[in-house]
Amino acid sequence: MAIDGRRPTLLPWFIAPAALVAMLLVASLAMLFQYSFRAHLPGTLDVGGFTLDNFQDLGKWLYLRVFIDSLVISAWTAGLSLLLGYPLALALVRCRSPWLKAAILIAVIIPMFTGDIVRTYSWLIVLGTRGFINGSLLGLGVIDAPIPLLFTTTAVVVALVQYSLPVIVVILSAAISHIDSDYEKAAASLGAGPLSVLWNVTLPLSMPGILSGTVTIFAWTMSAFATPQLVGGGKVNMVSNMVYHLGFASFNFPFAAVLSMVSLLLIMMVLALLGLWLRRLERRGFAG
Amino acid sequence: MSAAETRQGAEGDVSLSVDRVVKSFGDARAVDDVSLKVRRGEFVTLLGPSGCGKTTLLNLIAGFLAPESGEIFIDGAPISGLSPFERNIGVVFQNYALFPHMTVAENVGFGLKMRKVGKAEVERRVQEALEMVRLPQMGDRRPRQLSGGQQQRIALARALVIRPQLILLDEPFSAIDKNLRAEMQVELKTIQRQVGITTIFVTHDQSEALSMSDRIAVMSQGRVQQLSEPIELYRRPANSFVASFIGEINRLACTRRRDADCVLLEHGAVRLRLPAARVPGEGTGDSMLYVRPEALRAVDPGTPEANLCDGTVDAQVYQGTHVDLIVKADNGWLLRVREPGFDALERWPVGARLGVHADLAEACVY
Ligand SMILES: Nc1ncnc2c1ncn2[C@@H]1O[C@H](COP(=O)(O)OP(=O)(O)OP(=O)(O)O)[C@@H](O)[C@H]1O
Ligand SMILES: [Mg+2]
Repeated sequence: MAIDGRRPTLLPWFIAPAALVAMLLVASLAMLFQYSFRAHLPGTLDVGGFTLDNFQDLGKWLYLRVFIDSLVISAWTAGLSLLLGYPLALALVRCRSPWLKAAILIAVIIPMFTGDIVRTYSWLIVLGTRGFINGSLLGLGVIDAPIPLLFTTTAVVVALVQYSLPVIVVILSAAISHIDSDYEKAAASLGAGPLSVLWNVTLPLSMPGILSGTVTIFAWTMSAFATPQLVGGGKVNMVSNMVYHLGFASFNFPFAAVLSMVSLLLIMMVLALLGLWLRRLERRGFAG
Repeated sequence: MSAAETRQGAEGDVSLSVDRVVKSFGDARAVDDVSLKVRRGEFVTLLGPSGCGKTTLLNLIAGFLAPESGEIFIDGAPISGLSPFERNIGVVFQNYALFPHMTVAENVGFGLKMRKVGKAEVERRVQEALEMVRLPQMGDRRPRQLSGGQQQRIALARALVIRPQLILLDEPFSAIDKNLRAEMQVELKTIQRQVGITTIFVTHDQSEALSMSDRIAVMSQGRVQQLSEPIELYRRPANSFVASFIGEINRLACTRRRDADCVLLEHGAVRLRLPAARVPGEGTGDSMLYVRPEALRAVDPGTPEANLCDGTVDAQVYQGTHVDLIVKADNGWLLRVREPGFDALERWPVGARLGVHADLAEACVY
């Protein structure tokens, strides 16, 4: 035990691994950044000298379209995850029965441990032309021919929502569990019915969680790869699918780098907006 | 006729009636067969040690919990079928529970908005309520911009503005520092009297209970041990729990024996004779004599005045307004004798012999 006040501390050792990972990340981002300014040499894995040409292709409808699709799919996924996740999170936090609590938790969290490839394949089984839904509907005679479910934007969104649900439920229930139930009791004692309490008190007070949950889902859906690749089957393309295609089918690393940089920039802008918004909410007195 | 008798009045005057209510958590009975009647406009305090069921009883009245058995009546109507939002009961929470995302005015107006009161009327009544708690300028602030005492008053205004039939306060002053607390006690009492609202107040601060309440319900282990006016509670505690819980008291071991229409209390050489009517129960054997320090007086030893015992001064405790003499009695008792002023410091030094006079009309035996 040192007595001179300069106690030996373990802090640097705790930070070291994270710092290492962060450094690697920064290094690869720097690589990506400089790739986006290099010329594409068709037919080789090498890149040429400095150029700004890569950025010109961004304006092409083909690529613009992928960005717009990605934004739309991410927005739908975030919105639907919120709509489905909020009631689940609320039930998880506020329900009294430990059994119901456990049931919700298991149903919501277990899929998180199955990995996205396995989960995505199960969607193929459910949505395919000979899949569960078409099979059932055909068997019941509701439809004569299988309806195309797979390889549609809707299917991709559905699969992404299922993929995102555990995360948003965890974020939302953390936020909701921080709301003192005395607020809800106070509102009830003042004459607010259950729906009114939800609308006037619980929802506004969970605003920080709603925002960060939705934005998290939005940002990570923007970078989704396996789900749109498999469930979209090449017909629905998001940024990652295009990057993959450019990088590993055309070996156009510089343009793939440009697309990655732009999508990273978009996500960072969304996160910055979230930060501003949260700070404003906090100033206005929301728990945060 | 005493004040208590005058106020007893007709059944119609009962505002809140709790009838044999039971509530358990698991095996433990948090509220165990509690019955009490509170008159209109009365200020009743629930007082008791931590975990005795005060909050649980309040939650049952407010409707946040449902009783297992028993019924609660407000103005004669059973309310167990009503949800909290249908009950018209004002609640003030320990941490105020002011909605942080609303302004003070929105907080106070919330209950009126829920009742679909018109906008102009809401504004008028909110302003009126803010004036009542002497914070008329604070309407546009956020709760977190107010001090603890101000938040407390806003919480009170918010609960009263809906003109509830009853107001419940759960340890409303426990988060406020001591000086402000005394001020808030006076203020709450003034407003309560002005509005004339029936009030159930929870505290475990007995001086707060004694100074504010019309009646006090002392609770222990889920049961109401005694429900009486403060003076009655202090002078005639119903059982040993209440006697020990309220104020300071000497507990003197003795054996008791029935002797005609008297009860004989003995310990060592001491023999006391009390009228049987003053001693509850028929029991014979080991008992406790309860007598407050201020019902005892130091007198010369061996005189007829020294009707309780003789002994020696063991210690002096100077308390500003009075001196407590710790007396070791010849029969083994250890007593606290309260002498007003400070003369006793000189008159009865440590080691001095003295006799103890007891006002036996103020003593109890359990
Ligand atoms: N939700 C609950 N679940 C289980 N036990 C509870 C619950 N609420 C209260 N209890 C138990 O019931 C008993 C009474 O609790 P209560 O909160 O009514 O006490 P209290 O008199 O308000 O105490 P305090 O002065 O500490 O606030 C306690 O033993 C407590 O542990
Ligand atoms: Mg309590």
